[in-house]
Amino acid sequence: MEFIKADNVRFAYEPAEGELPREVLHGVSLEIKKGEFVALLGHNGCGKSTMAKLFNGMLLPTEGKVTVDGMDTADEETIYEVRRRVGLVQQNPDNQLVASIVEEDVAFGPENLGIEPKEIRRRVDEALKAVDMYEYRENAPYKLSGGQKQRVAIAGIIAMEPDCIVLDEPTAMLDPRGRDEVMETIHKLNREKGITIILITHYMDEAVQAGRVIVMDEGNILTQGTPREVFSQVELLKQHHLDVPQATELAYRLRSYGCGIPDGILNEEECVGALFALIGKE
Amino acid sequence: MAAVLETQDLTYVYSPGSPFARTAVDHVNIAIEEGEFVGVIGHTGSGKSTLIQQLNGLLRPTSGKILLHGKDIWAEPKKIRAVRFQVGMVFQYPEYQLFEETVLKDIAFGPKNKGLSDEEAMEKAKEAAEFTGLKPSLWEKSPFELSGGEKRRVAIAGVIAMDPDVLVLDEPAAGLDPKGRDVLLAQIGSYHQHRKNTVLLVSHSMEDIARTADRVLVMNQGKAAMFDTTPNVFARSAELETMGLRVPQVTAIMTRLQAMGCPVPSGVLTLEQAIKELLPLVRKKEADENAQ
Repeated sequence: MEFIKADNVRFAYEPAEGELPREVLHGVSLEIKKGEFVALLGHNGCGKSTMAKLFNGMLLPTEGKVTVDGMDTADEETIYEVRRRVGLVQQNPDNQLVASIVEEDVAFGPENLGIEPKEIRRRVDEALKAVDMYEYRENAPYKLSGGQKQRVAIAGIIAMEPDCIVLDEPTAMLDPRGRDEVMETIHKLNREKGITIILITHYMDEAVQAGRVIVMDEGNILTQGTPREVFSQVELLKQHHLDVPQATELAYRLRSYGCGIPDGILNEEECVGALFALIGKE
Repeated sequence: MAAVLETQDLTYVYSPGSPFARTAVDHVNIAIEEGEFVGVIGHTGSGKSTLIQQLNGLLRPTSGKILLHGKDIWAEPKKIRAVRFQVGMVFQYPEYQLFEETVLKDIAFGPKNKGLSDEEAMEKAKEAAEFTGLKPSLWEKSPFELSGGEKRRVAIAGVIAMDPDVLVLDEPAAGLDPKGRDVLLAQIGSYHQHRKNTVLLVSHSMEDIARTADRVLVMNQGKAAMFDTTPNVFARSAELETMGLRVPQVTAIMTRLQAMGCPVPSGVLTLEQAIKELLPLVRKKEADENAQ
């Protein structure tokens, strides 16, 4: 069953004075199923961040329609329900934290929903535990590392009990350990709570962990499928200046030299296995 | 070769003498050679930002010294401003620091401050704009009309235009897409080759460091944990992992193959190197099998 549906969506930002409107999405149709983990890829300016903001009604399509669980995001009656169901996490954790204590920050969302204090307490504790930040509940956000801040931002969304979280390059500003923490957290939320995840990223090693990859280019969908289906199209991705994981590219380039290495290698593990089978020991 | 920049027991303590005292940089001794390209890695809080902010006198060390061309930069505190022209610093997300009416004026701000005439400053600005790949059609535009990647280049050009002996870049490619990142790194590389000056690149991307740096400084818990050639540093993947760091995927693949007994070297940093090592092995195996 589809949870989010974009039907022939076009979008143009309000033009500056004296300029023509520039369309950034040219009729995109896609469906996201409940419980899916989808990675959205593409270079800067391809329209993927615009897409993210359309998913929860922060932006409305110029033409076409976006629905969340059947609710049209353009319908003012249901917009708050849409935003509660689809939470958005952005790139810079420092722009998303509002309170001076971690748990107060997480409580900000449910407080705004008018939920009673006891229930807020329960949700805040549960959300902080879900992202492994419960011990830090009384800390000041500014003292946390980037990965920890980003997990607090995610907890703030979880406390609203959403069905879906859209993350717009959540790891772009983090070090390798921070990236691992955030990726582990969102995989856990997807696996254990069944929350639908839409992850916008530049990192191919993050995209290969998704159930489905959608590649956008110039305001259209370029290709989509399982990571293996998408990343075996090395030629197409390169043409559009997108990276593939180093493991995939190494295998691909060796194949192009005529080496008998299988197609669609995604990670270190598979690459090491295939190469060892090929060359063996000394 | 002479060291352009050297630290001697460099130590920086935040809030010294208070219960919140925290040593961010702890007795660091490094010498950076003239013309080197040095990569700086370390997880958040490892002390790398505190270290680089001392290199141009933005922070004054708690103890220890920084020598620029052999001279203590704090010997005459009144002259610290001159050091900031010699060690140019590009901060993270520098595009937020743009403020002038036009791209060229923004780039010329640094050289003008350095004391150059308007004309000389404009010459420097044009040169720097070309170095960073900003087309002349953009030069008279407002910096705020440009794309994110272009703004970043304007900010970097503003530092390059001051002709620093040492250029320090803190995460210059953060937030750019793969294409934007490749272009920017290539430009920094060609600037380095052309000017033959010293570059320090701070990055979380091990792939970027592997591609560009001659030597790598690894910061961990305020100390210089490693400072060695790039292949030597990335050959120590297990140690790096305990510091919250990683090696590039291709390096990890080659290291694992070596551990499994394949005759491949360690410290392979790029895809090109890996292919060069692997192809002959595959060919040899094929020949052996055909011979049987």
